[in-house]
Formats: sequence, C-alpha cells, structure tokens
Amino acid sequence: MSTTTGKAAESAKVQAGPGTAKSPAAGPKGSRRRRKPSLGMQNMAGWLFSTPFLVLFLVFMAVPIIATLVMSFTDFGLRNVTHPLDANFIGFENYTKLFSDEKFLKSLFNTAYFVVVGVPLTIFLGLAVAVLLNNGIDRARTFFRVGFYAPVVTTIVAVAVVWRFVLDPSDGLVAGLFSEVGLTAPDFLGSETLAMPSMIAMAVWRNVGTVMVLFIAGLQAIPTEVREAARLDGAGVWQEFKGITVPLLRPTMLYATVITTIGYLNVFEEPFVMTQGGPSDSTLTVSLNMYREGFNFFHMGYASAMAYVLFVVIMGITVLQLRLLKDNTK
Amino acid sequence: MPRTARTASVGIAVALALGLTACGSSGGDDVAADKKQTLTVWAMGAEGEKLADVAKVYEKANPNITVKVTPVGWDVAHQKLVSAAAAGTMPDVAQMGGSYMGEFSELGVLEPVDTKTFQEKDFFPSGWQQGEVDGQAYGVPWYVDTRVLYYRTDLAKQAGITKAPTDWKEMQDLATAYQKKAGTKWGLSIQPSGLDTVQNFYSFLYSAGGEIVNDKGEAVIDSPEAVKALKEYGSYFSKGLSNKSVPPGYDVVKDFGNGRVPMFFGGPWHVTLLNEGQPQLKGKWAVANVPTDKSSVSMAGGSSLVISKDSEHKAAATQFIKYLTDAKGQADWYKRTKDLPANTTAWTSGDLANDTDLQIFKKQMDTAKASPSLPNWTEVTDKVDQAIAKVTQGKASAEDALKTAQSQIEGLVK
Repeated sequence: MSTTTGKAAESAKVQAGPGTAKSPAAGPKGSRRRRKPSLGMQNMAGWLFSTPFLVLFLVFMAVPIIATLVMSFTDFGLRNVTHPLDANFIGFENYTKLFSDEKFLKSLFNTAYFVVVGVPLTIFLGLAVAVLLNNGIDRARTFFRVGFYAPVVTTIVAVAVVWRFVLDPSDGLVAGLFSEVGLTAPDFLGSETLAMPSMIAMAVWRNVGTVMVLFIAGLQAIPTEVREAARLDGAGVWQEFKGITVPLLRPTMLYATVITTIGYLNVFEEPFVMTQGGPSDSTLTVSLNMYREGFNFFHMGYASAMAYVLFVVIMGITVLQLRLLKDNTK
Repeated sequence: MPRTARTASVGIAVALALGLTACGSSGGDDVAADKKQTLTVWAMGAEGEKLADVAKVYEKANPNITVKVTPVGWDVAHQKLVSAAAAGTMPDVAQMGGSYMGEFSELGVLEPVDTKTFQEKDFFPSGWQQGEVDGQAYGVPWYVDTRVLYYRTDLAKQAGITKAPTDWKEMQDLATAYQKKAGTKWGLSIQPSGLDTVQNFYSFLYSAGGEIVNDKGEAVIDSPEAVKALKEYGSYFSKGLSNKSVPPGYDVVKDFGNGRVPMFFGGPWHVTLLNEGQPQLKGKWAVANVPTDKSSVSMAGGSSLVISKDSEHKAAATQFIKYLTDAKGQADWYKRTKDLPANTTAWTSGDLANDTDLQIFKKQMDTAKASPSLPNWTEVTDKVDQAIAKVTQGKASAEDALKTAQSQIEGLVK
C-alpha cells in the first residue's frame, strides 16, 4: 500500500495492523497520542484516501467477480449478450459438465504438466542466475542482469516472432545447430509431444528474469556479517550456500514459487500466440480453453464455471504451498 | 494477472449488459434522409481507412450529411461489435464479415435490408447469401472474395508441366513434380490444423459436392463426398507434399516468393501482396480456378454492410449504402482497394472486364459457396477443424474423424 501524505494517513496506517506489526520502530508512542482525539476524522481520511481505489476495485473487480460467479450457474450464451435477463439458472450443470468434457480435462492436464515441469525449472534457473550474478561476474553484472530481465519486459508478440525463428523446423536456429552435426531437427511446434515442452522452454526463458530479480533482492538482504562470521569459522562456498543462503532465502523462495505457480496455472499468451492450442489440443491450457469457450463460442456461463474451477484450483494449490513451505522453515 | 483480467472482462460485459437492458427495438423516430445529420460508420482494417476518402466525396455531393468513419482493426472488430451490441451503441452502418451475420442477427441488433432498394439479382448469389439469415437479408454485399489456386509457372516449367492443373489428379501430379523435379520444399501449401483450417478445406469439400450443413440445416459432414474430400486433403500430408506444422500467422507469400511453396489457395488480396512484396516474381506465377472433382467450387467470403436496428438515420444510411454498392460506386471502390465488387454489373467495364486474372476470380465467384449463417458457426467449423487435424496428423481415418465431427455438429445444429 502506498503511503499517503499527512499525519492522519500515517497514523491510519499504524491502525491498519498487520503491515505495521514488524516495524515497532515506527514509534507507536507518538502516534498513539495523536490517534485518540481524532479517531473519527482519521477514519474519514482513511476512507477518503481509499475511495478512488475502492471505487475502481468495486466496479472493475468485485462486480465482475460476482457477476461471473452468478453467470457460472446460468446457460448464458450469445443471445444473452443483448438479453442478459433471459439466461436460465441451471444450478451446477456447467460444473458437472466440465468434468465429463474431454477437452477441459485435457486442458487441465496440459496446465498441470506446464506447472509441474515449468515451476521447478524457473525457480532453479532463477536462483542459479541470481547467485551467479550476485557473486561471480563483477564487471558485466548490470549487463547480464538487464539481459536476463529483458524477456520479462518484452511483449509476447515480439517474443513469439523470435521463438518461431528459433524453433522453425526448416531454417530456424535450432534446426541449424542440428544440421551442423548432421541431424534433422524435430518439428517442435508441430509435434504433439514436443509442442508443450517448447512452450515450457519459452515460458521459463521469459520468467527466469522475474524470479532472478526476487532472488537478487533476497540475496542482498542477507547481512554480510553472517557470511563473514561463517567464513571466519572456516565454511566453504558450498557450506555457506547450504547453511546460510538457502535458509535465509526461504521466504523469497516461498514467494517466488507461489507467484510463479499462479502465473503458470494461468498460462495463456504462449500457446495463444505460438500454437493456438494445437497441434490437436496438445498445448490447450485451461485459460486458452476458457477464452475460446467464452469469446469464440459465447458459452459465457460455461466459461465462467471454468474460471471458477481454475480459481479454486489455484487457491487450493497456493494454500497448500504456503502450508508446506512455511512448515519447512520452522 | 491475465486470468483476473479475462474474468473481469467477461464480467464487465455482463455488468454492462445488465445495466443497459433498456436497449432493443426503439427504431421509431427515424430522421429523414434530406435532413442535416451525422452518420456513424465502422469499417475494418484497410477498408476503414479507404472508406474515409469515399465518405469525403459523398459528403460533397450530399452536403446535409456528415459521414464519420471509424476504422476498426480486424483483430478487435468482433469484440468491439459485440460490446457495442451489448451496450446498445452500435454505429448506424457497420461492415460485417459473412461469418458474423448469424451471430448478430441472433443478437437482434440488425435492421432487415430494404429489398426494394437493394435487389438480389444485382449481386453474386454467394455474396447475397452471406448477408442472409433464415431467408431474411440483413446485409448488403459490399465486396466479395474467393480463393483460387496460385501457382509458380516458372517452376512448373522446370518440372515439365506447362498448363494449369484442372482436376485433383493434375494438382497432385503438379505438386509431386514441383517437389521431385523442381526441387521445391513442399508441393502445395494448405493448413494442417488450427483455427479456420476449414477455410483451406472448403475448396476440396465443395468441389467434391460436400457440405458441412445442408440447406435444411442438417449436419452432413460424414457424407461420402466429404470423406472423399478429406481423404484427398489428407493425402497431401501423408505423402509429404504439404507441411504438417504451420505456425499461426504464417506468411505464405514469402515462401511462394523463395520457391519453397510453389502452390497455394489464395484470395484476391494476394495479387497485391505478390506484386508489391515479391516484385521479382513478376510473370513467374499465375492464378487458376480451383481444380475440380465434381466441379470447381471455392468458398465465398467478403463483407456486407449492415444498418443497426437502433439507428435513427436509417434513411440516410440506406442511401449511403446504395451509393457504395451500385455499379459505379463498386468500380470506384475496386480502384481504391482492389476489393472485388459484389455487384455483378460493376464487372462489365474497365479493368474488371479486361484483366484475365480477374476473370478467373469472376468465374470462381459465379459458383462460389457461402457458409450458412448460423449463430454458432464458429463452433460448428471448430469441429471440422478438429477432424481435419486428426487426419493430417495421421491420428484417424477420414471416415472416423468425420463421423465424430458429424455427431458433434448434430448436437449443435439441433
């Protein structure tokens, strides 16, 4: 949350609770004195400052989220775009239909595949790059950091053009390397078995930068005294990494894993621009399937149900990750 | 996060729709054509930009009318039109692709065509059909397109063939000869899978006498004709004459230019693309009518002009559309855009009558077949796309793939 101007806002922030719990240094004494007499005023100010956000949130998030939920229990279709009230309530029919829909199950499987392979790869490579850039290369550090981060800020369309060139079976970069050693490159995007791994490779390449930045920040937050102390005690590089870096990076690791997982469960752009879900639905993800049901076929009710199933899956996995990974830190 | 954004946009559409149910048939108070008024027009892509010039000419002749043209990109056109329909903010006049027609008439936002002003006999039959839903015309044909066979004559000569292929056998022989004798990478470029693969399949399907849905609205995609067409289509892949993986957004013009792909089915716009993008090819390629099985039938595409049901300027809109779709307006439009006139009288003079390449298009247009205007046509063709993909990837026989598609489509067309 961004801090606003004025003392009222500052103390309102103290009131806010969880965020301030970690920083007792903020001086509860001073603010407590001011808080008492003008509690109502502060509340007012707080609400006032939050109004722009709240209005936007309500209009663009809360209303659609609820509308989608309502819609997921209806047969909302094309006709209902102009006559929304004609949509019929059909209870859980959309949801039950989902689990006998081969295409949906396939998209669910594809998404799971993407996450299970993609997340560990991204986290591992992100960490590796961060550690290397934090310790190893001194001279060109900025250059490499920018280099690894560039894919993150590049538009997916540009990325798609580059990757298509790289993977092109007849005159792409990879095909060139294959023919150097006298082999024929496989048709990465045209093969049902290779299309998904190709998507994953592309997504990992794109997202390693984000994870790397998180880990670099985490690495730099580790106090140098701790490292020095370890070194004085005769710890080697590996011991230092295992005994200090990894445990102290746990919170960062948790965060990076959770957001990468959420991002990958939502994967949409890569298959959308590269394969349109093909060949034979082998790269059809839940998000892409949802988009097509909703905007190509106008099965809005069905697509909404899909959105909620995905939401529940994401929430479940996130809660699970938080539990598992947090317990480990104790 | 993308998911949230998409969920939100679906929701917004509903929220908007819920808030604006007031829209619908208000119609009534139409402004007379000779009153001072502003006409709002949406047109897509290149047409949108060129139409603004025509609008200026029109305004000079009709000073009481201001035409406000908004060019809309093809990529966002569908979504924008749906949103506008939901919100009741459709423009007075809009350009619409044939495939949109069923959908938008289902939405109830289109004004039926005034058949006294616009007559079916003036247009190509398939052009007119595209604007029709259940026998009722909603769109006036503006321009048409169809696919014909583009082939490299220089490479054909190298392969020892000097005439254009006229039937399926000659086409496959030519494809083989290109590959074997002229050393091209592929023989024919057709799409193996992905969205709208069916567009490439149409010229096989229709030429064999098959259809997806017949005149009575019944699914007939498992007919012997359709099976035969898909077998032929699939044979190009099993024999290695066509590429099994074509990425979305593939540019066939480039590969036609460098000789990797010596044959493809293309629309009239490819003439301009080839002349401008591959000038070195001049005189080294030609167009031919779709090779026959039973006959030579290609798909018909193009755009119609529609008037919004809620428009208060229907009289003026009708006049403007009349101006754009009569013989003179159509010939002028061809000069500006190279879009093929939907009005057949426009073809009887000038460039259109004299150019032999254009006559090939004309001949193809005479028999070309338009897709039925069903609201869920995209979903129907998606099933055919899947069947084609199964065959081209060697996953199923044409019979089995089409049997599956048939049962799926039966469930969609009721």
